[in-house]
Order: sequence, then structure tokens, then C-alpha cells
Amino acid sequence: MALSRSGRLINKHPGSAAGRLLAVLPFALLLLAYAVGSDIRLSENPNDKLLPSFSSLADAVERMAFEPDKRTGDYLLWVDTVASLSRLGGGVLLATLLGAGIGITVGLIPYARWTMSAFIAVFAMIPPLAVLPILFITFGLGETSKVALIVFGIAPFMMRDLALRVSELPSEQIVKAQTLGASTWHIAWRIVLPQMMPRIIDALRLSLGSAWLFLIAAEAIAAQSGLGYRIFLLRRYLAMDVILPYVFWITLLAVVFDFILRRYQVWAYPWFVSERAQS
Amino acid sequence: MTEISVRNLWMEYGDQIVLERIDFDVAPHSFVSLVGPSGCGKSTFLRLLLSQEQATRGQILIDGEELPPNPEPDRGVVFQKYSVFPHLTALENVMLGLELDRGGFTGRLYGRAKRRAREEAMEYLGGVGLAAAASKYPSALSGGMQQRLAIAQALIKKPRILLLDEPFGALDPGIRSEVHDLMLRLWWENQMTVFMVTHDLREAFYLGTRVIAFDRVRKREEELERYGATIAFDTPSDPAPFVTELAAKDAAA
Amino acid sequence: MKLFSKTLVALATSMSLMVAGASSVNAEEKKEFKLAWSIYVGWMPWGWAADQGIVDKWADKYDIEIEVVQFNDYIESINQYTAGAFDGVTATNMDTLAIPSVGGVDTTALIVGDFSNGNDALILKGADSLDAVLGQNVNLVELSVSHYLLARALETLGKAEKDVAVVNTSDADMIAAYQTDDVTAVVTWNPLVAEILEIPGANKVFDSSDIPGEIMDLTVVNTETLADNPAFGKALAGAWYETMSIMLSDTPEGAAARAAMGEASGTDLAGYDMQLASTQMFATASDAVTFTTSESVTSTMESVRTFLFERGLLGDGASSPDIVGIAFPDGSVLGDEGNVKFRFNADYMSMAADGSL
Repeated sequence: MALSRSGRLINKHPGSAAGRLLAVLPFALLLLAYAVGSDIRLSENPNDKLLPSFSSLADAVERMAFEPDKRTGDYLLWVDTVASLSRLGGGVLLATLLGAGIGITVGLIPYARWTMSAFIAVFAMIPPLAVLPILFITFGLGETSKVALIVFGIAPFMMRDLALRVSELPSEQIVKAQTLGASTWHIAWRIVLPQMMPRIIDALRLSLGSAWLFLIAAEAIAAQSGLGYRIFLLRRYLAMDVILPYVFWITLLAVVFDFILRRYQVWAYPWFVSERAQS
Repeated sequence: MTEISVRNLWMEYGDQIVLERIDFDVAPHSFVSLVGPSGCGKSTFLRLLLSQEQATRGQILIDGEELPPNPEPDRGVVFQKYSVFPHLTALENVMLGLELDRGGFTGRLYGRAKRRAREEAMEYLGGVGLAAAASKYPSALSGGMQQRLAIAQALIKKPRILLLDEPFGALDPGIRSEVHDLMLRLWWENQMTVFMVTHDLREAFYLGTRVIAFDRVRKREEELERYGATIAFDTPSDPAPFVTELAAKDAAA
Repeated sequence: MKLFSKTLVALATSMSLMVAGASSVNAEEKKEFKLAWSIYVGWMPWGWAADQGIVDKWADKYDIEIEVVQFNDYIESINQYTAGAFDGVTATNMDTLAIPSVGGVDTTALIVGDFSNGNDALILKGADSLDAVLGQNVNLVELSVSHYLLARALETLGKAEKDVAVVNTSDADMIAAYQTDDVTAVVTWNPLVAEILEIPGANKVFDSSDIPGEIMDLTVVNTETLADNPAFGKALAGAWYETMSIMLSDTPEGAAARAAMGEASGTDLAGYDMQLASTQMFATASDAVTFTTSESVTSTMESVRTFLFERGLLGDGASSPDIVGIAFPDGSVLGDEGNVKFRFNADYMSMAADGSL
């Protein structure tokens, strides 16, 4: 492990096998630390709930995912997942449509820019959780307000980001399109929107983390099912044996979505990836 | 045949006068090279010709008619960079002009109309030597190929005037002379008028049938703001030998 | 690689020590103690007693130190206690059984401060009889005393929870939630009950005075810690009943104390007195002893543990509510005698009553 005499740390790179090992290392350490900590606590108090053993985590997964709930007969993990993902999907879809629609309009049309950009900039600064009561009274306590919270949480960022990306398009492109006979609508539809698609995916990837946060916050406030609902409900009873697998599951879903979006971007917009590599 | 008249044109940005007293006529099928030091307003003049900006005073007339207020397909353009669309393949870039024209609301063509547009576009791509690169995205093309693509893309609209803003400035010398000859051939075949802004005098005289230089007459510091550039000299230039050959060939045919 | 594995072991050890450190409320004699409390009408005296130096005075008397820590989040305070970061906490009888006791932390109810006598209520919008709740969505903090109150209310109708639909709703948003059209029934606690009842059309159809004594506000401590350090229990009991004698007296000092507690909980003297009116505070230790040693506590805990058992909160392996033993002052035990984790203890309150502290 000693540094060779000539190697400056900044210039040393691990080989591919060592690199993979290094990447796994923090995960392994975390797992090990958990195992040891859990063991120590459980030896002091076999009923300790804070750091349950791996076997009780496995039991909890078995119970939540593969056995029907005693009272409702539902498979809770899947019911919660479906409920959460449909809220998340609805909110993210709506936010993306709004973000793309308004962002492109603001970025492309000077009149829209003068009207909207200061407003959006200010609006984006409002912490949505602080105005929740207004959301409730406007959208009710059901699914709409949960979706609305996600939309309010991430749409302003997407609008601003996309407006910025549109304004970054070289003005030469817009002029050139006009000399090819494009109307304003044609420019938006055939020149700007297709170039924004991969950038929308970028904005989406950046927003997904906040979207989850707002989803879980919404579910903590009023719900009958959902991943966030279950976590907050069971937190009342320090049921970490269920909460930890739920947290792991949410993390896994988030990582998978991010991976899929990244892959989709490379597959569907090859020109974007090579453009980005060149600039 | 397109005749262009520029009548006492002034361009001011606030208090800053950029161009003043620009006044000249251009005969049909000219190749006009615009030269001058940086900041002399030659690119501004090109933007006025494009209708990208409006002159403060004066007029530009094409065949006696005033310019429309927006850039239109009658005047094509090739910029030094960003002339082609990165999200479209070479073929799609050239087809775009046809699709916007014939595709109605969606600006897209389908079925037989699409096939016809594709064939037409392939001819133009072949004309600039890019048939083999039809399915490539611009990022996979060299600088010279991108500029050839931009020219084909502009020409498919059959513009009466083609505006070139330092189109060959970023190309390697070998590539540049190749593209020069291509440009001259296309100019000759399409019978259009070309305005080319360049900072390269050799290029200006080689390609142009006329060379117009913009410059400031008064250069003292305190005068810079209140006096703009104007035409410093305006001279005809012999056509390039390549054009003479083309003309001879045409005559023989 | 040797260095690497050494580092790994060192890191793992230090991390696990850190984790274990939090649980080191080990059974042994010690001098420093931590009590967690959260904002609620029946627990406000702790904050005031700490501010006034009453806690310190009693701690000094027994030559110990007691740190009184306020939590904004009630559940978090109980979780912290259960995880071992505190020696005592304020909690209801139901939450004590469900969280620390089920979590294996043997816990003693040192002080029974009060029981809710109207502070928790079921409110219907535009209907004034309890049976109108059937078939409705009911918004409440699920698995809390509100949920228990609803279950007891439905029992009086001969119905069960399946006859309504429970919607978990955060207490922080209960008032806003009530004002939306789709919310027609809520169960919550004061001061939210008072707020909601001011809205036209809101009717209280059931409250905790219909089940007196069942929702108790306790100060609980770790049983082992108490056994090894009776001084901790004595100091807390002494401080508590001195505070009671001041705040519940009909004197300017009493009014000033209640005004300060009202302010600390976001209201004023009138608001706090209103909440006290629906809270059966035990003004003297002997009242508390009488209540704690009565039969009714046993039957209350029977109904509480059944409620928890039916919702899987006594542990998922639990085959009957007997899994966790609950001991009462007379020595009787409800449930498994070999696994007593919740003890009602009147000893320290009795000492306060006798004046022997």
C-alpha cells in the first residue's frame, strides 16, 4: 500500500479490478458496521428495535412483501409501492409537461420571458412544504394534493432549467430555421423541443431526488397507503425492521430509475451524448 | 435575376453609430465579398440583409421591394458555426427545408411525400459530396463537411440570395480551397447572388466578383461613438479561373 | 492488504462502539441523568420546573444532576428513550407499552401525572350523533391515542374499525385538513380540538371523558436505572409535586406559572386553563397514588394491550396479548410474568405523599 517514490497521489489510478473493489468497499464497511453494532445492541437487549438483526430484517421483508396482511389481506409492500409510484409518476409527468411547455415558451418567446421569468424565479423560492395548508384547501386531502405537492416542488426548477437550456441554443440555429421556412411553432416543435428532450431527461434525473422527498412528505401528512405512509406510521413504533427494508427499497427504486433514464438518454439521443463529449 | 439596392443605410445602437451612409447597388448574380477590420459592422450589415435586425434609417431593396421584417427562405444563410442542427442527421438537416414547407402544421412528411423529399435531399447532399454521410449526425462530421452540409441545407430552398458569414474561417487550408471551388460551382449553377463576409483578403478576391470594404473614416478615440463605419472601397474583382472554366464549359455546351 | 484489513476492523469497531455508546444506559450507579419531555398540557410542568430551578434543587438534594431536554417531536422523544439516549421520558400509557416495553426496555411509570378527561375528541362535520361516523373517512394520527379513542367509541356502538375508513393524518396539518371538503370526521387532541370546535358545523360526539382514566400522561423511567439509582426517582417525584402544588394553587404564583406554561405551549393563561379543564391533573401525590393503585388501571391496560395486539404492535411473533407482562403496584401481573417490561410503581408517589422525600 505504500506510495511508490515517484507517484504523486493525484496521478495514481487504480486498476480496473482494484477500482471495482474500492467502489464496493464503503458499502461493505457500512454493512459490517451495521452487523457489529446490531450484534452488540441485541446482546444487551434481545428485543432492541433500533438495529434489528439481518434475520429479523429478512422476516420483515417476508411479512411485508410475500404474506398477506392479517387485517386487510393485502401484500403491503406492493400496495404501498404501487400507491407511491403512481403518485410519483403522476407528479413527475405533470411537472415535466409543465416544465417543458413553460420552460420552452419562456426560453423562446421574448414576451413570455418578460412576463414569466421573474415570476417563476420568485415562485421557485417558495418552500412548498410551508404552504401545504393552502395546497390542501385548494386540492383537497386526497391524491390530487400529493401530486400537486410534487409538481409544486419540482416544476419551477424544471421550468427555469429548460428556459435556460433553450436560451443557450445558438441564435444562429433559430435564424437558420427561419431561412428554411420555419414558423415560431415549427421552431418550437422541430428545432427546440427535440433538442430539449435529452436535457429534459437531465433535469428529470436531478429532480427525482426532490420528487421522492416531496412524495414521502405528502404521504406522511395524510394517506392510507404508500411507502412514506408506512415509514412514518411505523416510526411511531420504532419498527426499524420494516423501515430499513423500505428505505433500502426506495433507494433501490431511485437508483434503478436514474440508471434507466441515463441509459435511455444514451440510446435515444446519441447525438446529444457525442455533442456533450465534444464540448 | 435578383438586383439588390442599398439606400443610405444607417445602423445605430442607442448612441453608438455602427454603420452610416451605406449606399450601393448589386447587379444580378454577383458574388460580393465584404471585408474590413473587426468591429467595422460587416456582420451587422449581413444581419440587416437577413432581416435579423432592422436598420435605423435607410432601405434595402430586392428587385425594388423592401425587405420583409423576418428572415425568410428567399435569403439563405451559412454561419461560421451552428448552421446545422445537431439533433438531425445530415439527410434530415437537408430535408428539413422541404418538410417545413410541405409538412403543414407538424412540419413533417410521411409516406410517399417523405420519400420524394428524401430523394431530392440526397441530390443536394450528393452535390456537396456528402451522400455517404447521409445518416451521420453533425457531431460525427468534420468541420469542412459540416459547412458543406450547411450549404446544401440552405440551397435546397433555392434562395435568391445566399449570405455567408465567415463560412470557411474555421477550416484547414487544404479543405478550404476544396470548399471554395465547390462554392463557386454552386454559385454558378444556381444563378444566385452571394454576400460573403470574410476577414481573409485573398479569399475575398479569389471568390468575389466584387469586393466591398467597410471601415471607419474617423478613428480618433472621442469620435468612435458618433461616427460609424462606411464603405471604404468598392472594387470589381476578376472571376476565379475556375469560374472562367465553368463559363467556357457552359458556352461549349 | 494487511493495513487495509486492519483499518477495516478499526473502523467497524469504532462505529459499533459509537452505536453501542448510545445504549450505555447500563444498570449501574451514576450521577447524571437525562429526562426528555415534549410539549403537551400535562407535561408542560417539566419545562417550567427546569426553568425555575426546581429540578436542579431536588437533584442537588440527592447529589445528582438531571438534564431536562425538550423535544418538538413527541414520538422522537420516546424513540430516543427507547434507543437508550435518555433515562426517562414523558409518554402516554399506550405509547409506553407499545414502544419501549415492546422494544425490550423495561420501563417504570414513576409519576402518573394526569388522565385525559375530554382533551381527546372525535369531531364530526355537520352531524351531531356518534353513529353518523359509520361509513365515513376518519382522519387521525394512526396508532396514536386518537386511534384508540376511535376504537373505544366504535365499541360503544358495538361496531369495529372496519365500519369506518381511517386516514392517517399528521397532527400538524389536522386543522387545515379539517377545512377541506373531503374531510368529515377527525379524532385529535387539544389544543387542536378547541381550534376545530370553533369552526361552525363542528360537533364533538365522543371524547376521553367518556372513557375516563384510560389515556394517562406519565413520566416513565428505565426500570434498571431506577433500581440502581433510587435518587433519580426521588428527585423527579419531589420536583414534580412541588411544581404541582405551585401551579395548581389559586394564587398569583400559580397563575404566573400556568401563564408561563401556556406561553411555552403557544397559547396563554386562558388557553392553558381551558386545556387543564379537560385534563384530570393529580394535584397531590396521594390522589395519584389512589388512582394508580385502583383496579381501573388494570382494566385500562387490558383494553389498551388488546387494541395494540389487534394491530400487530405487540410484535409480529406475538400469539396473544400476554407476550409483554405489565406489573401493577399490588404485585399483580397482566400477561407473561417472566417478561414484565412495563411496571406501574406507586412507591415514589407515595413517598411524596408521605412527605418523606
